[in-house]
Amino acid sequence: MAEPVLELQDVRYRWPTGTEALRGVTFSVQAGERVGLVGPNGAGKSTLLLAMAGFVSAEGKIRVAGHRLARGTARAVRRHLGLVFQDADDQLFMPRVGDDVAFGPVTMGLAPEEVEARVTEALAAVGLEGCEDRAPYHLSVGEKRRAALATVLAMRPQILALDEPSANLDPRGRRMLIELLPGLSNTLLLVGHDLDMMLEVCDRTLVMDAGRIVEDGPSSEVLANRELLEAHGLELPRSLAARRAETEPRRETEPPRESDPPRESEPRRESEPRP
Amino acid sequence: MHHRMLDHFAGGDTPVHRLDPAAKTVALLAAVLATVLVGRDRFLPLLPTAVALAAYHLLGRAPVWYVAKRLLVVSPFAAAIVVLFPFLEPGRPVWTLAVGTWAVTVTENGLVRAGHLAAKFVLCAWATVLLLATTRFQDVLQALERLRVPRVFVVQLAFLYRYLWVLLDQGMRLRMARAGRDGGVGPRRVRFQSSVGVAGVLFLRTYDRAERIYWAMMARGFDGELRGTTRAHMHLKDWIFVLGVCAAGVAVVICERVLCG
Repeated sequence: MAEPVLELQDVRYRWPTGTEALRGVTFSVQAGERVGLVGPNGAGKSTLLLAMAGFVSAEGKIRVAGHRLARGTARAVRRHLGLVFQDADDQLFMPRVGDDVAFGPVTMGLAPEEVEARVTEALAAVGLEGCEDRAPYHLSVGEKRRAALATVLAMRPQILALDEPSANLDPRGRRMLIELLPGLSNTLLLVGHDLDMMLEVCDRTLVMDAGRIVEDGPSSEVLANRELLEAHGLELPRSLAARRAETEPRRETEPPRESDPPRESEPRRESEPRP
Repeated sequence: MHHRMLDHFAGGDTPVHRLDPAAKTVALLAAVLATVLVGRDRFLPLLPTAVALAAYHLLGRAPVWYVAKRLLVVSPFAAAIVVLFPFLEPGRPVWTLAVGTWAVTVTENGLVRAGHLAAKFVLCAWATVLLLATTRFQDVLQALERLRVPRVFVVQLAFLYRYLWVLLDQGMRLRMARAGRDGGVGPRRVRFQSSVGVAGVLFLRTYDRAERIYWAMMARGFDGELRGTTRAHMHLKDWIFVLGVCAAGVAVVICERVLCG
């Protein structure tokens, strides 16, 4: 098996307040994999992202694209790990969208022509062609999210890590992002609790709770495991719940009748809508 | 939330909008210098600058109310000084206000001086507002960079302008949240206390945001040095404009010195 592009071994972190955010996280991601990291609020997902980029100094081993994260290698690691933050207003800090997208390539020391080419390419990739001159505060939330994505794409990172990519987006903006993400060809790490999005975009899902990875497997299995999801403050993706409700319509509308013989062989009723 | 930006009318397409931002910025500086260098109490040498600004205003098609409103907003800074002059300057008394044994006198000299100061203030502020009414803020920032203003100042301005509205939005949301619960009424003491709370929360959120922005910068390789990308170039019309304005400014100052002694 090829060397993983992202590798975490027993990563632990405790906030200065004493709260244990990461309690031994271990997993690895191969190049080209699309991985979803889901978990309830406070599970440590965002902290894990910060730890991967070296913004909080966690214990344990973190390797990104062959670089072991340490004090001297943080810049190299960040170059390969494209982090898109949850609030696009934090990410778009320059007065022009074009300048913002150019920020990464310029700090990488690329030639002006190359910077310009990358800006054009990154904006085109997210469907914001010709928006170089627009001001970030004049963009809609959806456009801001895509512009934030472009700022990272312009650096051509090996892994694209997005924190809550669909937060605050309207259905159209969310759909646009879902269609956009797989085509960006990077190794993807989506963090959040939009399980429907994970199901559509990611082929592998990790469930995180209380600072640990509690499940790791194909999205189609992990995200269909209702008991597991509910045990960790999540619920079935709506698309799956709706599909199951369709296949077993009687279960949700009619109470069981006493005359019905008990059906031992019936699979567990996972599709019942929650009260 | 939507705010009317400082450079709301800068997206227009008139001859002055199309001028190079750096040329306009230098011209603004020339107009301001030609105004402040005019000697005490002389009104006539201010006239050429006023006429030039009026012509620029007409060409740029900035609405009068827009400019007037902005002048009004910045006027308290000048007003604080202007209103004191009539009382402080010695000269022929015009009007005396007596309060018991204590009296203040408004003098003719004082009034002239105050009027002169007010006129200078209006011209300088007018020029600045006109620059922003015909040039986008990001272009002004880039012009400052091209004019070799230290990057740290330009970046400071850029961040201020970028996050001012975000902060304003946040403050407004906090106030609305408070008004939603107390209905905008209630004991003054409690309202004051909650205002302090709102300010405190806003401060903490700003602090948090600053940290997140810094992380976002670091995530894209920021190493403490800001590098720019400059695009614009001066054309012949820009040179004619900026040199013309500067020459006119110098002429005004020289004529004023020679003719008025």
